[in-house]
Amino acid sequence: MARDATRRRVLAAAAAALPLVAAGCKGISVLGSPPKAAPGVTVATEAIAVETQLIAHYGAVLRTVPGLAGTLRPLLAQHHEHLARLRARLIVPPGGQPLPRPRATPLLTAPVPGTSAAALGYLRHAENAASAALLAHLAAAPPSLAELLASISASEATHALVLTTPATHR
Amino acid sequence: MNSAQGVVAALQGALAAENSAVYGYGVAGAHLAGARRVAAVRNWVGHENARDTLTAMLAARGAQPVAAAAAYELPFAVHSAAAAVALATVLEDRLAAAYLGLTGLADPALRAFGARGVRTAALRAAAWRGSTLAFPGLDVPAARLPSRGSGSPGPTSPALGSPTSSHPG
Repeated sequence: MARDATRRRVLAAAAAALPLVAAGCKGISVLGSPPKAAPGVTVATEAIAVETQLIAHYGAVLRTVPGLAGTLRPLLAQHHEHLARLRARLIVPPGGQPLPRPRATPLLTAPVPGTSAAALGYLRHAENAASAALLAHLAAAPPSLAELLASISASEATHALVLTTPATHR
Repeated sequence: MNSAQGVVAALQGALAAENSAVYGYGVAGAHLAGARRVAAVRNWVGHENARDTLTAMLAARGAQPVAAAAAYELPFAVHSAAAAVALATVLEDRLAAAYLGLTGLADPALRAFGARGVRTAALRAAAWRGSTLAFPGLDVPAARLPSRGSGSPGPTSPALGSPTSSHPG
Protein backbone atom coordinates (compact mmCIF):
# COMPACT_ATOMS: atom_id res chain seq x y z
CA MET A 1 0.00 0.00 0.00
CA ALA A 2 1.18 3.46 -0.81
CA ARG A 3 1.20 4.60 2.81
CA ASP A 4 4.37 2.57 3.31
CA ALA A 5 6.17 4.51 0.66
CA THR A 6 5.54 7.74 2.45
CA ARG A 7 5.79 6.46 5.99
CA ARG A 8 9.48 6.98 6.26
CA ARG A 9 11.69 8.61 3.73
CA VAL A 10 15.39 8.93 3.70
CA LEU A 11 16.30 12.54 3.79
CA ALA A 12 19.46 13.32 1.93
CA ALA A 13 19.15 16.88 3.19
CA ALA A 14 19.18 15.83 6.85
CA ALA A 15 22.21 13.66 6.25
CA ALA A 16 24.08 16.60 4.79
CA ALA A 17 23.27 18.98 7.64
CA LEU A 18 24.44 16.95 10.62
CA PRO A 19 28.20 16.67 10.01
CA LEU A 20 28.51 20.44 9.65
CA VAL A 21 27.23 20.90 13.20
CA ALA A 22 29.57 18.24 14.53
CA ALA A 23 32.47 19.82 12.69
CA GLY A 24 32.19 23.06 14.62
CA CYS A 25 34.92 22.20 17.11
CA LYS A 26 37.35 20.71 14.66
CA GLY A 27 38.44 23.74 12.71
CA ILE A 28 37.53 25.13 9.35
CA SER A 29 39.35 22.48 7.36
CA VAL A 30 36.77 19.85 8.30
CA LEU A 31 34.10 21.92 6.60
CA GLY A 32 35.87 21.45 3.29
CA SER A 33 35.28 17.70 3.18
CA PRO A 34 31.90 16.65 1.83
CA PRO A 35 29.52 15.33 4.49
CA LYS A 36 28.89 11.61 4.47
CA ALA A 37 25.43 10.49 3.43
CA ALA A 38 23.16 8.76 5.93
CA PRO A 39 23.21 4.93 5.67
CA GLY A 40 19.72 4.90 4.18
CA VAL A 41 20.79 7.19 1.38
CA THR A 42 23.74 4.96 0.52
CA VAL A 43 21.62 1.80 0.64
CA ALA A 44 18.83 3.32 -1.45
CA THR A 45 21.36 4.53 -4.00
CA GLU A 46 22.92 1.07 -4.23
CA ALA A 47 19.50 -0.57 -4.60
CA ILE A 48 18.56 1.92 -7.33
CA ALA A 49 21.77 1.01 -9.15
CA VAL A 50 20.89 -2.70 -8.93
CA GLU A 51 17.38 -2.13 -10.34
CA THR A 52 18.72 0.13 -13.08
CA GLN A 53 21.16 -2.58 -14.15
CA LEU A 54 18.44 -5.20 -14.13
CA ILE A 55 16.21 -3.04 -16.32
CA ALA A 56 19.12 -2.53 -18.70
CA HIS A 57 19.63 -6.31 -18.92
CA TYR A 58 15.94 -6.76 -19.77
CA GLY A 59 16.27 -4.09 -22.45
CA ALA A 60 19.29 -5.81 -23.95
CA VAL A 61 17.54 -9.18 -24.04
CA LEU A 62 14.39 -7.70 -25.59
CA ARG A 63 16.48 -6.12 -28.34
CA THR A 64 18.29 -9.40 -29.00
CA VAL A 65 15.34 -11.81 -28.65
CA PRO A 66 12.15 -9.78 -29.33
CA GLY A 67 10.06 -12.96 -29.27
CA LEU A 68 10.40 -13.05 -25.48
CA ALA A 69 8.46 -9.80 -25.05
CA GLY A 70 5.28 -11.55 -23.93
CA THR A 71 7.09 -13.31 -21.10
CA LEU A 72 9.34 -10.43 -20.11
CA ARG A 73 7.10 -7.36 -20.26
CA PRO A 74 5.14 -8.08 -17.06
CA LEU A 75 8.38 -8.74 -15.17
CA LEU A 76 10.02 -5.63 -16.58
CA ALA A 77 7.00 -3.56 -15.55
CA GLN A 78 7.45 -4.78 -11.98
CA HIS A 79 11.10 -3.72 -12.06
CA HIS A 80 10.01 -0.23 -13.07
CA GLU A 81 7.69 -0.30 -10.03
CA HIS A 82 10.64 -1.36 -7.85
CA LEU A 83 12.75 1.47 -9.20
CA ALA A 84 10.02 4.07 -8.67
CA ARG A 85 9.41 2.93 -5.09
CA LEU A 86 13.13 3.05 -4.31
CA ARG A 87 13.51 6.49 -5.87
CA ALA A 88 10.62 7.73 -3.76
CA ARG A 89 12.82 7.05 -0.72
CA LEU A 90 15.25 9.74 -1.75
CA ILE A 91 14.45 13.39 -1.45
CA VAL A 92 17.24 15.26 -3.10
CA PRO A 93 17.31 18.95 -2.22
CA PRO A 94 17.72 21.25 -5.23
CA GLY A 95 21.32 22.28 -5.57
CA GLY A 96 22.26 19.99 -2.69
CA GLN A 97 25.06 17.51 -2.32
CA PRO A 98 25.39 14.97 -5.11
CA LEU A 99 24.22 11.53 -4.13
CA PRO A 100 26.87 8.99 -3.19
CA ARG A 101 28.14 7.11 -6.19
CA PRO A 102 26.96 3.47 -6.00
CA ARG A 103 29.66 0.85 -5.68
CA ALA A 104 27.38 -1.88 -7.05
CA THR A 105 29.28 -4.46 -9.07
CA PRO A 106 27.81 -5.45 -12.43
CA LEU A 107 25.15 -8.15 -12.18
CA LEU A 108 26.29 -9.75 -15.44
CA THR A 109 29.20 -9.03 -17.72
CA ALA A 110 28.64 -11.69 -20.40
CA PRO A 111 26.99 -10.73 -23.70
CA VAL A 112 23.30 -11.50 -24.18
CA PRO A 113 22.82 -15.00 -25.64
CA GLY A 114 20.94 -15.25 -28.93
CA THR A 115 18.54 -18.09 -28.18
CA SER A 116 15.34 -17.80 -26.13
CA ALA A 117 16.25 -20.48 -23.62
CA ALA A 118 19.74 -19.11 -23.02
CA ALA A 119 18.43 -15.54 -22.79
CA LEU A 120 15.93 -16.61 -20.13
CA GLY A 121 18.76 -18.27 -18.22
CA TYR A 122 20.77 -15.08 -18.54
CA LEU A 123 17.97 -13.03 -16.97
CA ARG A 124 17.41 -15.68 -14.35
CA HIS A 125 21.00 -15.23 -13.26
CA ALA A 126 20.55 -11.47 -13.27
CA GLU A 127 17.41 -11.74 -11.11
CA ASN A 128 19.12 -14.03 -8.61
CA ALA A 129 22.15 -11.75 -8.46
CA ALA A 130 19.95 -8.69 -7.91
CA SER A 131 17.91 -10.49 -5.25
CA ALA A 132 21.10 -11.36 -3.36
CA ALA A 133 22.62 -7.90 -3.86
CA LEU A 134 19.60 -6.24 -2.24
CA LEU A 135 19.72 -8.58 0.74
CA ALA A 136 23.41 -7.76 1.22
CA HIS A 137 22.27 -4.25 2.21
CA LEU A 138 19.52 -5.45 4.54
CA ALA A 139 21.45 -5.01 7.79
CA ALA A 140 22.55 -1.45 6.98
CA ALA A 141 19.13 -0.17 5.96
CA PRO A 142 16.73 1.82 8.15
CA PRO A 143 13.69 -0.33 9.12
CA SER A 144 11.18 0.67 6.45
CA LEU A 145 13.80 0.59 3.71
CA ALA A 146 14.85 -2.88 4.94
CA GLU A 147 11.23 -4.01 4.49
CA LEU A 148 11.18 -2.62 0.97
CA LEU A 149 14.48 -4.34 0.11
CA ALA A 150 13.24 -7.68 1.46
CA SER A 151 10.01 -7.36 -0.54
CA ILE A 152 11.76 -6.45 -3.79
CA SER A 153 14.34 -9.19 -3.25
CA ALA A 154 11.53 -11.74 -2.82
CA SER A 155 9.79 -10.41 -5.94
CA GLU A 156 12.99 -10.96 -7.91
CA ALA A 157 13.27 -14.50 -6.57
CA THR A 158 9.78 -15.15 -7.96
CA HIS A 159 10.83 -13.67 -11.30
CA ALA A 160 13.68 -16.17 -11.43
CA LEU A 161 11.05 -18.89 -10.91
CA VAL A 162 9.03 -17.63 -13.88
CA LEU A 163 12.18 -17.49 -16.03
CA THR A 164 12.90 -21.12 -15.12
CA THR A 165 9.58 -22.20 -16.57
CA PRO A 166 9.16 -20.17 -19.76
CA ALA A 167 6.03 -22.03 -20.81
CA THR A 168 3.39 -19.58 -19.63
CA HIS A 169 1.33 -20.86 -16.75
CA ARG A 170 -1.97 -19.74 -18.18
CA MET B 1 7.01 -0.69 22.53
CA ASN B 2 10.63 -1.45 23.32
CA SER B 3 12.79 -3.51 21.01
CA ALA B 4 12.31 -6.83 22.86
CA GLN B 5 8.53 -6.36 22.75
CA GLY B 6 8.80 -5.52 19.07
CA VAL B 7 10.70 -8.75 18.40
CA VAL B 8 8.14 -10.85 20.28
CA ALA B 9 5.22 -9.11 18.55
CA ALA B 10 6.75 -9.71 15.11
CA LEU B 11 7.50 -13.37 15.90
CA GLN B 12 3.96 -13.83 17.25
CA GLY B 13 2.59 -12.31 14.04
CA ALA B 14 4.54 -14.79 11.95
CA LEU B 15 3.48 -17.67 14.21
CA ALA B 16 -0.20 -16.68 13.98
CA ALA B 17 0.11 -16.63 10.19
CA GLU B 18 1.80 -20.06 10.21
CA ASN B 19 -0.94 -21.44 12.48
CA SER B 20 -3.65 -20.26 10.12
CA ALA B 21 -1.67 -21.63 7.15
CA VAL B 22 -1.47 -25.07 8.75
CA TYR B 23 -5.25 -24.99 9.18
CA GLY B 24 -5.91 -23.48 5.77
CA TYR B 25 -3.77 -25.96 3.86
CA GLY B 26 -5.68 -28.74 5.57
CA VAL B 27 -8.85 -27.33 4.04
CA ALA B 28 -7.28 -26.57 0.65
CA GLY B 29 -5.58 -29.94 0.33
CA ALA B 30 -8.91 -31.75 0.66
CA HIS B 31 -10.11 -30.10 -2.58
CA LEU B 32 -6.94 -30.66 -4.63
CA ALA B 33 -5.66 -33.65 -6.57
CA GLY B 34 -2.52 -34.74 -8.35
CA ALA B 35 0.46 -32.40 -8.45
CA ARG B 36 -1.44 -29.61 -6.71
CA ARG B 37 -2.32 -31.88 -3.83
CA VAL B 38 1.32 -32.93 -3.57
CA ALA B 39 2.36 -29.26 -3.49
CA ALA B 40 -0.27 -28.50 -0.84
CA VAL B 41 0.92 -31.34 1.37
CA ARG B 42 4.55 -30.28 0.92
CA ASN B 43 3.71 -26.69 1.88
CA TRP B 44 1.57 -27.90 4.79
CA VAL B 45 4.58 -29.77 6.20
CA GLY B 46 6.74 -26.70 5.60
CA HIS B 47 4.32 -24.56 7.59
CA GLU B 48 4.27 -27.06 10.44
CA ASN B 49 8.06 -26.92 10.58
CA ALA B 50 8.07 -23.11 10.45
CA ARG B 51 5.48 -23.04 13.23
CA ASP B 52 7.76 -25.21 15.40
CA THR B 53 10.75 -22.99 14.65
CA LEU B 54 8.86 -19.83 15.61
CA THR B 55 7.46 -21.49 18.73
CA ALA B 56 11.01 -22.33 19.83
CA MET B 57 12.23 -18.81 19.05
CA LEU B 58 9.47 -17.33 21.20
CA ALA B 59 10.06 -19.77 24.04
CA ALA B 60 13.77 -18.90 23.97
CA ARG B 61 12.73 -15.29 24.55
CA GLY B 62 10.53 -16.21 27.49
CA ALA B 63 7.33 -15.45 25.60
CA GLN B 64 4.20 -17.59 25.50
CA PRO B 65 3.72 -18.60 21.86
CA VAL B 66 0.31 -17.67 20.47
CA ALA B 67 -1.87 -20.79 20.36
CA ALA B 68 -3.51 -22.10 17.22
CA ALA B 69 -7.28 -21.75 17.08
CA ALA B 70 -9.44 -24.85 16.69
CA ALA B 71 -10.88 -23.33 13.51
CA TYR B 72 -10.34 -20.21 11.41
CA GLU B 73 -12.76 -18.14 9.43
CA LEU B 74 -11.87 -18.55 5.77
CA PRO B 75 -11.89 -15.49 3.49
CA PHE B 76 -14.37 -17.27 1.20
CA ALA B 77 -16.10 -20.63 1.00
CA VAL B 78 -13.83 -23.39 -0.30
CA HIS B 79 -15.78 -26.01 -2.26
CA SER B 80 -13.67 -26.37 -5.38
CA ALA B 81 -10.09 -26.75 -6.56
CA ALA B 82 -10.08 -23.15 -7.84
CA ALA B 83 -11.13 -21.88 -4.42
CA ALA B 84 -8.52 -24.10 -2.76
CA VAL B 85 -5.78 -22.61 -4.93
CA ALA B 86 -7.05 -19.11 -4.19
CA LEU B 87 -7.01 -19.90 -0.46
CA ALA B 88 -3.44 -21.20 -0.60
CA THR B 89 -2.45 -17.99 -2.42
CA VAL B 90 -4.07 -15.84 0.26
CA LEU B 91 -2.35 -17.79 3.03
CA GLU B 92 1.07 -17.29 1.43
CA ASP B 93 0.43 -13.61 0.73
CA ARG B 94 -0.36 -13.10 4.41
CA LEU B 95 2.70 -15.06 5.48
CA ALA B 96 4.87 -12.81 3.32
CA ALA B 97 3.37 -9.79 5.10
CA ALA B 98 3.90 -11.36 8.52
CA TYR B 99 7.53 -12.22 7.84
CA LEU B 100 8.15 -8.79 6.39
CA GLY B 101 7.46 -7.49 9.89
CA LEU B 102 10.69 -9.16 11.01
CA THR B 103 12.86 -7.50 8.37
CA GLY B 104 12.64 -4.07 10.00
CA LEU B 105 13.85 -5.23 13.43
CA ALA B 106 17.24 -4.18 14.80
CA ASP B 107 18.77 -7.68 14.98
CA PRO B 108 20.42 -8.49 11.61
CA ALA B 109 19.90 -12.23 12.14
CA LEU B 110 16.14 -11.71 12.58
CA ARG B 111 16.10 -9.47 9.52
CA ALA B 112 17.73 -12.22 7.48
CA PHE B 113 15.34 -14.82 8.94
CA GLY B 114 12.41 -12.60 8.03
CA ALA B 115 13.72 -12.05 4.51
CA ARG B 116 13.97 -15.82 3.99
CA GLY B 117 10.38 -16.15 5.21
CA VAL B 118 9.15 -13.46 2.79
CA ARG B 119 11.00 -15.14 -0.05
CA THR B 120 9.64 -18.62 0.71
CA ALA B 121 6.07 -17.35 0.98
CA ALA B 122 6.42 -15.23 -2.18
CA LEU B 123 7.71 -18.21 -4.16
CA ARG B 124 4.82 -20.39 -2.99
CA ALA B 125 2.28 -17.64 -3.67
CA ALA B 126 3.68 -17.10 -7.17
CA ALA B 127 3.46 -20.82 -7.89
CA TRP B 128 -0.21 -20.91 -6.83
CA ARG B 129 -1.08 -17.63 -8.52
CA GLY B 130 0.79 -18.35 -11.73
CA SER B 131 2.16 -14.82 -11.74
CA THR B 132 4.37 -12.59 -9.63
CA LEU B 133 3.81 -9.56 -7.43
CA ALA B 134 5.99 -6.44 -7.45
CA PHE B 135 5.92 -6.08 -3.65
CA PRO B 136 5.18 -9.36 -1.87
CA GLY B 137 4.29 -8.78 1.77
CA LEU B 138 4.15 -5.04 1.25
CA ASP B 139 1.29 -4.61 -1.22
CA VAL B 140 -0.95 -7.54 -0.32
CA PRO B 141 -3.78 -8.14 -2.80
CA ALA B 142 -7.29 -8.44 -1.44
CA ALA B 143 -8.45 -11.98 -0.75
CA ARG B 144 -10.95 -12.95 -3.39
CA LEU B 145 -11.94 -15.80 -5.58
CA PRO B 146 -10.74 -15.39 -9.17
CA SER B 147 -13.70 -14.90 -11.48
CA ARG B 148 -14.10 -17.89 -13.72
CA GLY B 149 -12.48 -17.67 -17.14
CA SER B 150 -10.24 -14.68 -16.54
CA GLY B 151 -6.82 -16.07 -15.91
CA SER B 152 -5.07 -12.75 -16.20
CA PRO B 153 -3.17 -11.77 -13.10
CA GLY B 154 -4.12 -8.12 -13.36
CA PRO B 155 -2.28 -5.28 -11.72
CA THR B 156 -1.15 -5.40 -8.15
CA SER B 157 -4.07 -4.51 -5.96
CA PRO B 158 -3.18 -2.22 -3.08
CA ALA B 159 -6.08 -3.33 -0.91
CA LEU B 160 -5.18 -5.09 2.28
CA GLY B 161 -7.30 -8.10 3.14
CA SER B 162 -8.57 -8.60 6.65
CA PRO B 163 -6.75 -11.24 8.65
CA THR B 164 -7.91 -14.83 8.37
CA SER B 165 -8.35 -15.19 12.07
CA SER B 166 -8.42 -13.17 15.20
CA HIS B 167 -5.82 -14.08 17.75
CA PRO B 168 -7.27 -16.52 20.23
CA GLY B 169 -7.34 -15.69 23.89
